Amino acid sequence: MINSYYVQRTAQAIFTVFAVITITFVLIRQIPGGPTSYVRSQLAQQSGSVDMEQINTLVEAYTNVRPDEPLYVQYFNYITSVAQGDLGTSMYYSTPVSEIMAAAVPWTVFVMSVSLVLTFGIGISLGALTAYVEGSRFDVGLTLISIFLNSIPYYVLAIILVYALGYQLDWFPIGGLVGGDVTVGLNLGFIASAIYHAALPIASFVVTGFGIQALTMRGNSIRVLGEDYIRVARLRGIPPSEIALQYVGRNAILPMYTGMMISIGFMFGGSIIMEEIFAYPGVGYYMFRAISASDYPLMMGAFLIITIAVVLGIFVADLTYGKIDPRAGQGGNRESY
Amino acid sequence: MSDNSFTGRSEATKADVSAIQVDDPILEMRDASVTFDMDRGESRVLDQVNLDVQRNEILGVVGESGSGKSMFASALLDAVVDPGTLSGDITYHPDPDRSVDVLDLSPEQLRELRWEEISMVFQGAQSSFNPTTTIRDHFEETIEAHNYDMAQGMAHARELLEDLYLEPDRVLDAYPHELSGGMQQRALIALSLVLEPNVLVMDEPTAALDLLMQRSILSLLNDLQEKYDLTVVFITHDLPLVAGLADRLAVMYAFEFAEVGPADEIIRNPTHPYTRSLLKAVPNLDTPLQEMQPIEGMAPDPVDVPEGCSYHPRCPLADDVCRASNPAYHAVDDSDDHVAACFHWEQASDVLSLTTDGETEHAEIVGKQSADPVVSLTDVDVHFEQEADGGLLSIFDDPDLVHAVDDVSLDVYENDVVALVGESGCGKTTLGKTSIAAQRPTGGSVTYREQDVWDAKDGVGDVETPFEAIRRSLQMVHQDPGGSLNPNRKVQASLEAPLKHWNTGMDAEDRKERVFSMLEYVGMSPPEDYAGRYPHQLSGGEQQRVALIRALLMNPDLILADEAVSALDVSLRVEVMDLMLELQDVFDTSYLFISHNLSNARYFAGNAGGRIGVMYLGEIVEIGPAEEIIANPKHPYTKVLKWSTADLEVDQDVEEPPISSIDIPDPVDPPSGCRFHTRCPEAREACARQQPSLDEHASDDEHRVACFREYDQSHEYWESEPIDDGESTDLFADGSDAAEIESDD
Ligand code: SF4
Ligand code: SF4
Repeated sequence: MINSYYVQRTAQAIFTVFAVITITFVLIRQIPGGPTSYVRSQLAQQSGSVDMEQINTLVEAYTNVRPDEPLYVQYFNYITSVAQGDLGTSMYYSTPVSEIMAAAVPWTVFVMSVSLVLTFGIGISLGALTAYVEGSRFDVGLTLISIFLNSIPYYVLAIILVYALGYQLDWFPIGGLVGGDVTVGLNLGFIASAIYHAALPIASFVVTGFGIQALTMRGNSIRVLGEDYIRVARLRGIPPSEIALQYVGRNAILPMYTGMMISIGFMFGGSIIMEEIFAYPGVGYYMFRAISASDYPLMMGAFLIITIAVVLGIFVADLTYGKIDPRAGQGGNRESY
Repeated sequence: MSDNSFTGRSEATKADVSAIQVDDPILEMRDASVTFDMDRGESRVLDQVNLDVQRNEILGVVGESGSGKSMFASALLDAVVDPGTLSGDITYHPDPDRSVDVLDLSPEQLRELRWEEISMVFQGAQSSFNPTTTIRDHFEETIEAHNYDMAQGMAHARELLEDLYLEPDRVLDAYPHELSGGMQQRALIALSLVLEPNVLVMDEPTAALDLLMQRSILSLLNDLQEKYDLTVVFITHDLPLVAGLADRLAVMYAFEFAEVGPADEIIRNPTHPYTRSLLKAVPNLDTPLQEMQPIEGMAPDPVDVPEGCSYHPRCPLADDVCRASNPAYHAVDDSDDHVAACFHWEQASDVLSLTTDGETEHAEIVGKQSADPVVSLTDVDVHFEQEADGGLLSIFDDPDLVHAVDDVSLDVYENDVVALVGESGCGKTTLGKTSIAAQRPTGGSVTYREQDVWDAKDGVGDVETPFEAIRRSLQMVHQDPGGSLNPNRKVQASLEAPLKHWNTGMDAEDRKERVFSMLEYVGMSPPEDYAGRYPHQLSGGEQQRVALIRALLMNPDLILADEAVSALDVSLRVEVMDLMLELQDVFDTSYLFISHNLSNARYFAGNAGGRIGVMYLGEIVEIGPAEEIIANPKHPYTKVLKWSTADLEVDQDVEEPPISSIDIPDPVDPPSGCRFHTRCPEAREACARQQPSLDEHASDDEHRVACFREYDQSHEYWESEPIDDGESTDLFADGSDAAEIESDD
């Protein structure tokens, strides 16, 4: 027999990705105004005559699926091409979707990882700090600010930032990945320019995101501070700095780990609107473009990548949590007998 | 330092303090009070306490919960939690000529005093360890924080762990949750001794453990105390437990000491009415059943302690003098070392008589069980799969199979009481749940009035009694009544819900009537008041009553009472058990009573003429009439359990347990042959190869034992060689894996 927990999680993850692929397949075929009718209307406009064979060939070129084949053959072809990394060809850009995505993914990952590190770094430090001075003016003030900032939707802040700092004050660029004058590569100018361009999207995520982390951390820390083992550690004469890190910090952060992984997926989703607002050509930007241009293959490709990112985040969180927190995997399934 | 400042003052409050002073004190506490400011007023949880601790003694401090005994412990280390304030004088004498004023130390000096000189062990070892670091880290950081030599310190830690019958390597590398409760507690004791303190203060160090583990730890503690010249202050609610261990006993009531004296004096000649009642309220194996009585009334509220003698509302001897003024300590004998704070101490022994003589006749109590079983278990197995937690690479490992219950047959009759006893992890809870159809067995059959329970559930064959009806007839009362009641529902709503569901014929008025009459019946009156309360507004005993009513409203045939009284204070246990037995008469139910405490089992089953079944590692090893099992235990394991049930005998010193390994083996891989052979002092080689059975040699149908010693002389057991035991190296040979069976039964 095999260890059911990991098998279950892996199967679940694979199933989710598979389900998404299937849904995209169904959507391609079923949506009114789907790629077939899109191609048909394009052809009709160009030549006036509509040859069914020609339509099918064109649709296949874009989406890897021939509408006149039996359903199961279509499905099989679609799955195999996706599995080989062939996501079809963008109708709007006339480039393979996988190429567009390969260029876009690193930028999105860059923005997200920096945002994530900052959101959690700031949130956890502030949360721990406020927990230690619970009830003070600093605590009350910071808690209020956290709640307030957390209640602003990130896209609202993004629009305000791009309007104020981008258009009005002209302090930050209002679009693009890097400035046009830098050479691509690991040089200072390129990195500085990349950070300069990513600053506003990152700020929108971080400013609206750290509040909830700070509040969670504060709550966890206060709970841990009330635990018996803190009292025992103090009686044992363990230095306060060690208690803060090894005892309070460790035990308060661990429960937040899963949330951290899941927010990777959440941010990927958020990138659709964010990158559009800042005209930042990452995965989300292309997704948005694809939607407005009815570019189905690109839409599906971007959608697939976002889904895989979410599923992967949760999957990794699940599997690694047991390694990081020694108690995990024990509490839940311990039987009493 | 403060040597002469306190004498005059304490003389003024207490007329006679001679006895609470000792000739070579290591700790002196004078006039110590702890107060908390609360909305309702000042809460005084330690009230002008005077007591000395003698160098190298074991002092037992006994009191009910809420008597201030934990505050006394914290005060000794000046470790009262905020916002409590500690006043008075506490003096520590590292040696007879030096004294340190504990309350006048700088933070750094205090930090050094704690753990290096005076150390503490708390109740609930699990919560005393940082759950996310290993036991080794705990030792290392403690040694480092006090700038001790690391190599030497860790060597000492290993020695201590070995003294406590633990395998150092295994324990040090483990995370706290990977150890069983008994191992955690012993590791915590080792941690508290790693800096070689002079004084060890222990606050209910064994309360959450099985009796057998408690007694084993106590006997280890006795060894440690001698080996390392320790002074031990042992705080507990369990007087009999500490009676054999302690040199002196101090009984606490209402935040001060009611009686202090040498342990044997206190047990043989208890003088304060409270001490006498306390002794009477404790179920133990020697007192005749009829003599045990609960203490009436409740412990006082720290905000509002009664005027005069704080015990007067509960004291049968109380008169106007007691109500008006606070009694001073009176010396009970010439030696002055036994004192009691009571005006009428001379009369106490007449009014509250105690029979402590071993030779007592017990009236035969005959139960009224029917001939037909209500629930019948035949060859029941319950095996759980336990997941390996080795990470990704262990995907392909086999999950471990835990043998929670193995091949058990048991009949429960109408109006029957069966008490199952055994250590944590012996499978008694699982067997209980299987009997009430809350757990599906992996083998064998469970029948309810001849209807196979799981056939009824699956609809196999002719189902005469539907599963729903069976479940309704088999109810359960948990150990933690607070947890089983919905905290957001009033008592009324909680109790009416099952009636609504099952008894649709009743209208709202009938239901209310019914609930009120039941509340009234169990002594919760006025019922209108109690019905309107939320669970947290009830005391533990009252919550347990509500849980009991809820089970009874279903008119069940069998109630599983899983450690139903273990969480209650000793003095309340008898009361709740009495109530349960009374209700049995009225409602014609049977009980399956689960406990790790043989005295409770004996009290409960004995008073109903029921049976006691002893379980070990998933098997019933001995079963028979309650009094018979107590008076004449045959299985070596039952004898061990009986040993662990502390008798009130102080003459006999704490002896070595009649067992060759403290920790229970891993139920994933139970020992071959007789499962007890790894711990059995009588084990011989045949025991490791063959399995004794409960029925084969039954000379007596009622009282059955699964041990080769009950087989006749022709059995090969009598010819085979004894298995070498008693060597300390053997002591942890099998037990160290008990971690995984940590459980809440
Ligand atoms: S002083 Fe009075 S009330 Fe107090 S214990 Fe003695 S007899 Fe009872
Ligand atoms: S069969 Fe052997 S090992 Fe088992 S209890 Fe009897 S004597 Fe001990």
